[in-house]
Amino acid sequence: ISGVPFRLKETQSSSCEKQVQEVALDGTETYVPPLSMSQNLAKLAQRIDFSQGSDSEEDGPDGESRDQDRDRDREWGKQEVEEEEGTVKFQPSLWPWDSVRNNLRSALTEMCVLYDVLSVVKEKKYMALDPVSQDPSAAKAPQVFQLISKKKSLATAAQLLLKGAEKLSKSVAENQENRRQRDFNSELLRLRSQWKLRKVGDKILGDLSYRSAGSLFPHHGTFEVIKNTDIDLDKKIPEDYCPLDVQIPSDLEGSAYIKVSIQKQAPDIGDLGTINLFRRTQKPKAGAQPWHVKLEAAQNVLLCKEIFAQLSREAVQIRAQIPHIVVKNQIISQPFPGLQLSISLCHSTADKKNSRSSPERTKPDDHLYVLEHNLHQMMREFHKQQLSSVVMPRPASAPFGHKRLRLAGPLAYDKAEISGLQQSEGLLEKIIKQAKHIFLRSRTAKTIDGLASRIEDPQIQAHWSNINDVFESSVKVLITSQGYEQICKSIQLQLNIGVEQIRVVHRDGRVVSLSHQEQELQDFLLSQMSQHQVHAVQQLAKVMGWHVLSFSNHVGLGAVESIGNASAVTVASPNGEYAISVRNGPESGCKVLVQFPRSQTKELPKSDVIQEAKWSHLRGPYKEVQWSRMEGRNFVYKMELLMAALTPCP
Amino acid sequence: MEAPPVTVMPVTGGTINMMEYLLQGSVLDQALESLLHRLRGLCDNMEPETFTDHELVYLLKGQQGNPFILRARRSLSHPTAPWHLRYLGQPEVGDKSRHALVRNCVDVAASHSLPEFLNEMGFRMDHEFVTNGHIFRKGSMKIVVSKLSRILVPGNTENTERLSLSYLVELSVLAPAGQDTVSEDMRSFAEQLKPLVHLEKIDPSKQRH
Repeated sequence: ISGVPFRLKETQSSSCEKQVQEVALDGTETYVPPLSMSQNLAKLAQRIDFSQGSDSEEDGPDGESRDQDRDRDREWGKQEVEEEEGTVKFQPSLWPWDSVRNNLRSALTEMCVLYDVLSVVKEKKYMALDPVSQDPSAAKAPQVFQLISKKKSLATAAQLLLKGAEKLSKSVAENQENRRQRDFNSELLRLRSQWKLRKVGDKILGDLSYRSAGSLFPHHGTFEVIKNTDIDLDKKIPEDYCPLDVQIPSDLEGSAYIKVSIQKQAPDIGDLGTINLFRRTQKPKAGAQPWHVKLEAAQNVLLCKEIFAQLSREAVQIRAQIPHIVVKNQIISQPFPGLQLSISLCHSTADKKNSRSSPERTKPDDHLYVLEHNLHQMMREFHKQQLSSVVMPRPASAPFGHKRLRLAGPLAYDKAEISGLQQSEGLLEKIIKQAKHIFLRSRTAKTIDGLASRIEDPQIQAHWSNINDVFESSVKVLITSQGYEQICKSIQLQLNIGVEQIRVVHRDGRVVSLSHQEQELQDFLLSQMSQHQVHAVQQLAKVMGWHVLSFSNHVGLGAVESIGNASAVTVASPNGEYAISVRNGPESGCKVLVQFPRSQTKELPKSDVIQEAKWSHLRGPYKEVQWSRMEGRNFVYKMELLMAALTPCP
Repeated sequence: MEAPPVTVMPVTGGTINMMEYLLQGSVLDQALESLLHRLRGLCDNMEPETFTDHELVYLLKGQQGNPFILRARRSLSHPTAPWHLRYLGQPEVGDKSRHALVRNCVDVAASHSLPEFLNEMGFRMDHEFVTNGHIFRKGSMKIVVSKLSRILVPGNTENTERLSLSYLVELSVLAPAGQDTVSEDMRSFAEQLKPLVHLEKIDPSKQRH
């Protein structure tokens, strides 16, 4: 209330006094044009210092306005004080509510400004807030960018993951590869320890031929070692998987063997050379590497081929009485007339086997396994001989060759000695000899067995020696009578069976040579059996106390036997009254005659010449015994009964 | 004394005319071990053998022309082995592209009285030497690695002096005339020995001074 006049005065003073801008030379004063209302406001607003307190004392040209401010402040403060306390006296610096007042003031200012802004905004008179027109592309851009960035980051993440996965799978594969590689290497090492290998270029080649063992077969026998890589890493590795595989030459694949057989009658020539028998599939040995099985099979094929090639070469070269025939995979030779030795190479590849095996199985197995084995053995021996015959020449300048042949000149060998050095028996000749022997032996056994089963009296016993040579074996033949083995040991024969003939050695050292003909042996044995009976009578007579009056192995009288000769014996009873005469022929059989004493014969015509009683001791006539009607199970038993009957009781 | 008639016809060994195909080279003593090692690997699978031989070279001089040379050799390590009498012809001047030296060759095994026999025939001993070394074989190829020693006292093979600090390496094949595939085999074998020893065809007649 008091402030209003003061304010008015002040406004008066300020409004009445105009500021002089400049005084011209003529003394006219140009005043500063009075400020417009807005200029004045701005000027006043400039003066307001919000940060400082109202009581800051500033000297300046605008002292009046400051005074005005101060007054207004004071007035406001008075009002406030009056409103709140009414009693508190205004004291600017020491006033305890000073800070409160200041804060309130600043809050008021803020509020006023806010009010002003709001009113300015609300009253559209001064200012209008128009919504800014939004560019659609500008609005979209961030979205696209977001998408791109998202995509990018995802891609990076994916790449990272992929890289990691790749690394992992690579390491896994590498591991496996390493393992396989290691396996391959260890397998290779194992292979190397058993087979000859060499490296040619980037290949590993092996040698399965027997050349280093002395073979002269021209087949190179090379196999290739390959790494078995056609296996899926993802799938489970099969049990029999082997990282190492071998590739053998196609002509050595499959299995092969040499078949040796002897046939009685020659088959039609059209059938020759088509023999194609296959062995049953062999089960591979457990634990053996597949490559080893494969290589061994191939090596066996190679050896069989070598044997067959050698045999066929010899078959063509050797001049035999009956030439050997080589047809396709078969060599045919005739060791004995009517007999055929066939050696054939059977080579089967895996695919053929299935189709052919079934019909062939029904055929009888006529293999001569011994000969097949011997062929292999002989081939190996031949190899060994080749290897061992290579000796370094002495002195060193001398040519390679047979050592003993070099001695021929200095030691003055004759032609026989030199040809003895050079001649060596071929594989075919050896095997034919062996075949002959085997055949002769089996035929001898068959003959003896046939006789033994056909003829009961006398009996034949054959004792085969189990120590044989490939070219010779022996059998001991005993001819006995049943029940009288101890006393009738007359015939003991030793049969030495060779290649071409059989040599028979008697007990007393006589030697008889028989040819390979079956009939010869049979006839010989039959004659021996017939002789045995006569021998048996002779032996029996000794035991019974009878006297042997005459004995003959080969009787020159009587009917001619077609086999051998008849033999005869005459024995007299202990007191000489009776005599028994036996004639036995292999074919005619036995004939037994008994001579009675003259005294017992009633029907004898009285002779004029022999009147006296002493003549009654002369031997009487013979009477034939009906031998087949005699009691007894065999000849010797019957003879014993006859002798017993004729022996007078004491 | 009348000079014996000397044949001017080439000597042939009966019906089969054998030729010697030869390649020669040498290695120093230090390189011997590695060469032997290589040969053991390349040659036939046999135990390597050593030898000691005594060779006598006999001449039969005619009135004109080159003397007739025969080589008599015996093994000192195998005294019972027969002597070896050898005639070597002049190298063939044929195909230049042939890889080996080819010369006529007649080999005869002889009894121990060979030196006396040759002396009786009019041959005179020209020189003698002792050779010892190793012998290898690969098929028909013979590889001899030997050291030559001079005999100081004639006839005494115990007292010898080595001729050089190297070993003579000879690769030879005996084959009937005209089998030039042999020289191909020899060349390929010599190739395999290449860094260790260079086997070449050396004409002895051109080496002579």
